[in-house]
Amino acid sequence: MRIVAEHLSYTYNEGSPFAVRALDDVSLTIEEGEFYGILGHTGSGKSTFVQHLNGLIRVPSSLKKRKKKPKKGQPVPPETVLNVGEFDLTKRDTNFRALRKKVGMVFQYPEYQLFAETVKEDVAFGLKNFAEKGEKPSEEEIGRAVRDALQIVGLDYGEVAEKSPFDLSGGQKRRAAIAGVIVTKPEILVLDEPAAGLDPLGKREIMELLHTLHREWCKTVVIVSHDMDEISENCTRCAVFAEGKVVYDLPPKELFQKGEELTALGLDIPLTAKLVLALKERGITVDCDFTTEDFIQKVLALKGGGA
Amino acid sequence: MKDVAFGQYYPVESFVHKLDPRLKLLFLIAYIVAIFVATNFYGLAVCAFVLILAVAFSRVPVLKVLRAIRGVLFLVLFTAVLNVLFHTGETVYWQYGILCISKEGILFSVFFVIRLVLLVVCSSLLTYTTTPVSLTDGIESLLTPLKWIRFPVHELALIMSIALRFIPILSDETGRIMNAQKARGADFETGGLIKKIRAVVPILIPLLLSAFRRADELGEAMDARCYMGSKNRTKYKKLTFGWRDAIGFLLGAAMVTGVVLLRVYLTGVV
Repeated sequence: MRIVAEHLSYTYNEGSPFAVRALDDVSLTIEEGEFYGILGHTGSGKSTFVQHLNGLIRVPSSLKKRKKKPKKGQPVPPETVLNVGEFDLTKRDTNFRALRKKVGMVFQYPEYQLFAETVKEDVAFGLKNFAEKGEKPSEEEIGRAVRDALQIVGLDYGEVAEKSPFDLSGGQKRRAAIAGVIVTKPEILVLDEPAAGLDPLGKREIMELLHTLHREWCKTVVIVSHDMDEISENCTRCAVFAEGKVVYDLPPKELFQKGEELTALGLDIPLTAKLVLALKERGITVDCDFTTEDFIQKVLALKGGGA
Repeated sequence: MKDVAFGQYYPVESFVHKLDPRLKLLFLIAYIVAIFVATNFYGLAVCAFVLILAVAFSRVPVLKVLRAIRGVLFLVLFTAVLNVLFHTGETVYWQYGILCISKEGILFSVFFVIRLVLLVVCSSLLTYTTTPVSLTDGIESLLTPLKWIRFPVHELALIMSIALRFIPILSDETGRIMNAQKARGADFETGGLIKKIRAVVPILIPLLLSAFRRADELGEAMDARCYMGSKNRTKYKKLTFGWRDAIGFLLGAAMVTGVVLLRVYLTGVV
């Protein structure tokens, strides 16, 4: 499923003194199979954008019965397009339930959404909700799906399935919560700051988990983050949001070439990009793709074939 | 992010917004007294005039102010109808058993409706123009005399402001949890009563947990800063009376005097 957004704008509390323009004429295409990163400060509109992808925030035109006719003499605003696969999210009669089954969404601190008595029940929540009417999945099917989901996120079914989700450790809770989203095998998986609040090891484990999911389970993965290292190490392409607009839409290798421009926008750059810049100032050019491994390789090569 | 505007505070700069919250509270009390002291239309006219003045100087849109009436509309209409039907008078237009429509009855019910509307509009104007925080500050300051009888005024005000502060946080949190469960296919809109109640569980449990967690964190944070309650605490925002408050006070005093005089010298108009 391909995600296409054109001229997408969104204002919170429209028409009141609290109005905040969160998205301003955003156009973005995410191809099937990408590991896509969305970068930006708090309040840059990145979370607002991803919540559009499964219809949690609706395109205004999809809520109105009749389209507003533009006044005469005024320029006609460009038409908003928002397609996720075959779903047209600007239409009123879009099947949002079917859409949400295809587009899984993991919110920030997903462990705070756990609620059921056992981990198994919690993970099965989405599975039961998305089941078609009259086709209730059997206990056996549910059990199998939950087992698979827990296994891929790295939890042991036998150990945790009958436990209360509140008795798990922090990292386990997050994994269980992610299992609760991916259990329906969504084609697109969107994660908002999946590694927030974890220690470096936990972060790496979560990113590894996402790669596993990307390989085996969800065709497209979109992560929202402000951690540059996370993006530079993992993504195939990424967009930078600033004040509701998309400023860059490039592969990380090209994006972090623009180290100085990003710093000017008030954004951090990955450690490797900082080192490349520092070396450049001293007249040493390192041409790497900004992953730690590649950077070390290239520097060692410059030093003379690896010491 | 999408901060639900708590209560009704309408954020503009105006004469009324800048008034001391204590004055506004006292003014509201005086206003309520004045409305009930007024026994004729002249007295009410004075009150209405003062309120129109206040609304004009508050820069809150008139429509927004009038919307406050919507909540009590049913009550107002209900009492009006009852008053018309059961209030007997000399000039009777229509009668059936104990029900009758008379000139006096109609006048009385119009009088009553105006009273209620003024009451509601005035109290909502207070919340439109005063943030909850400064309102609790004002209440704390006005209740200070109760400290003499060892009433924990400061603690009461603190409880009020924490409760008020938590409303937008918890409402945000509710939105977030609802979205998370909706993304997992939860459906809060369709189905019968039982189904709807069951659908609330996945929101309620995480919400309760989060409220307890936040309460714990806040308690610990206060403890870590050696919070000891009211003793020897200074205020970040000191309430001071200014020229605006003097004008407000004079207006309020003039209104109450006027209403009282009108009552004494013009009895029996209604």
